[in-house]
Amino acid sequence: MSDAIKTSGLWYRAGPEFELHDVSMSVPAGSVYGFLGPNGSGKTTTIRLLLGLHRVDRGDISLLDREVPKAMPEILQRTGYVPERPHLYPSLTVSEAVRYHGAFYEKWDESWTDELFDRFSLPPNQRVGKLSKGETGKLLMALALAQRPELLVLDEPTEGLDPVVRRDIMSALLDYVSEQGATVLISSHLVHELERFCNWVGLMDQGRLISELPMEQFKNGIKRLRIIDPPNHYDDSPFEILLREPVNGGVPGEMILVQGWHADMAEYFGGVGASLREVVDLDLEDGFVEMLRAFRVQATEG
Amino acid sequence: MFKVILETQWKWVRLPLLVATVAAFAIPVLSVQDAGRVGTRGLDPYLLLIDMTGWGVAYPLLAAGIGLLLAMTAWGPDHRQGHSYALSLPIPRWRFAMLRLGAGSVLLAMPIIGITAGSFAATAAAAIPVGLTAYPAALAIRFTLAAGLAYSVFFAISAGSTRTAGYILAGMSALIVAHTVFGLLPGVDLMGAILERLYDWPGPLAIFGGRWMLIDV
Repeated sequence: MSDAIKTSGLWYRAGPEFELHDVSMSVPAGSVYGFLGPNGSGKTTTIRLLLGLHRVDRGDISLLDREVPKAMPEILQRTGYVPERPHLYPSLTVSEAVRYHGAFYEKWDESWTDELFDRFSLPPNQRVGKLSKGETGKLLMALALAQRPELLVLDEPTEGLDPVVRRDIMSALLDYVSEQGATVLISSHLVHELERFCNWVGLMDQGRLISELPMEQFKNGIKRLRIIDPPNHYDDSPFEILLREPVNGGVPGEMILVQGWHADMAEYFGGVGASLREVVDLDLEDGFVEMLRAFRVQATEG
Repeated sequence: MFKVILETQWKWVRLPLLVATVAAFAIPVLSVQDAGRVGTRGLDPYLLLIDMTGWGVAYPLLAAGIGLLLAMTAWGPDHRQGHSYALSLPIPRWRFAMLRLGAGSVLLAMPIIGITAGSFAATAAAAIPVGLTAYPAALAIRFTLAAGLAYSVFFAISAGSTRTAGYILAGMSALIVAHTVFGLLPGVDLMGAILERLYDWPGPLAIFGGRWMLIDV
């Protein structure tokens, strides 16, 4: 199995205002894949399609080498899911919710569950609906981990949580991943949170997957370059040009946003009669924002 | 798996279901006691039958109410969060629905036991006038069938989406409008004809029609 998640040509209309366009994503097995995008970009809709909670209008999805939605029960047996909004029955107590949830999973591990609940200090007799936001987040993560999944699909699992709870949840997740080698798809719009532990990144905006690449390439390969005497066209460039725009403040030349940059590509500019004056490094958040901006400019220009 | 589903449904419905079970036991007992107070020299057959007919309305109403209650509580918590939890569990949807249906059916046993016990206790304690016969078993079986039918119908409706419920409401509204419009024509009683088809034998709701008599000729 090379890809734990694979979609091709996914289309889904979620209403008059929103549509997923031709989403083709590949989440390599064993990777921690950060699914980034602003609010309303289509991350949750994509995740719900992956898990068979919505039916696609067009396109194919496979999870763990099984076809969605045909093999859904088997896929879900091997997949832990933390939804964006808590979905457990609020009238059950924590221990009742655990017993209920665990009854559906073949690999449910009682002792591991107890361990997780001790680690998260969850009150067993508290009703789920009365838990704090942090406790609910911990409960959802504990339930997802206790089924010993091969794949974890986490939809903004730390959204709105305080830093202490966030750290607790993420460290439990990372411990599990390092022990079990599970694949993780984690969506967020908190770029810095994902930077630390993801090794793949997918960027979503306006219902489209605008980029998908290893984290290393994302962090090091996206640059802003200041070019003097730019040509009309950058023919046969060894990097991908995402955006061209004039330099602010009457400074000569232009700024280009590139993907797939490497230092030894600087020689290319001499060959097209231009010169590279400056290479601006971007951290993950800047890279994320710049890529979104480039995508939106391209979308506006058609 | 069935056990935890049964436990959760029991938790959601236990209070009203206990009330319904008590009511199911009490109705036959009260009906006979009430009839006993009417006659000054024991149970008067004629007055007893009138009383039984009056109380008889309570049985189908209770059966329908219990069916509705169990169906609504079976799906209510799932409806409230768009079924996302149920759909994310590793079980085929049809099987999950069957487990919910089965759990509700088990819970339905409580008021059925209540009405059976109440009917037998009431008729055993009463001095039934000559010429009349007690039908506790028949009443209990009829109640079981009616409650089961009501539960199945409401469960099927309740299992659907909001859109399905909308279609059903729209259908009923259209029926009322049609009844009003056609009611203006002489000799046309659309609603009456439909109700007749539904409630008269062999209509699908025939079990609810007719007389529900604990004691009859």
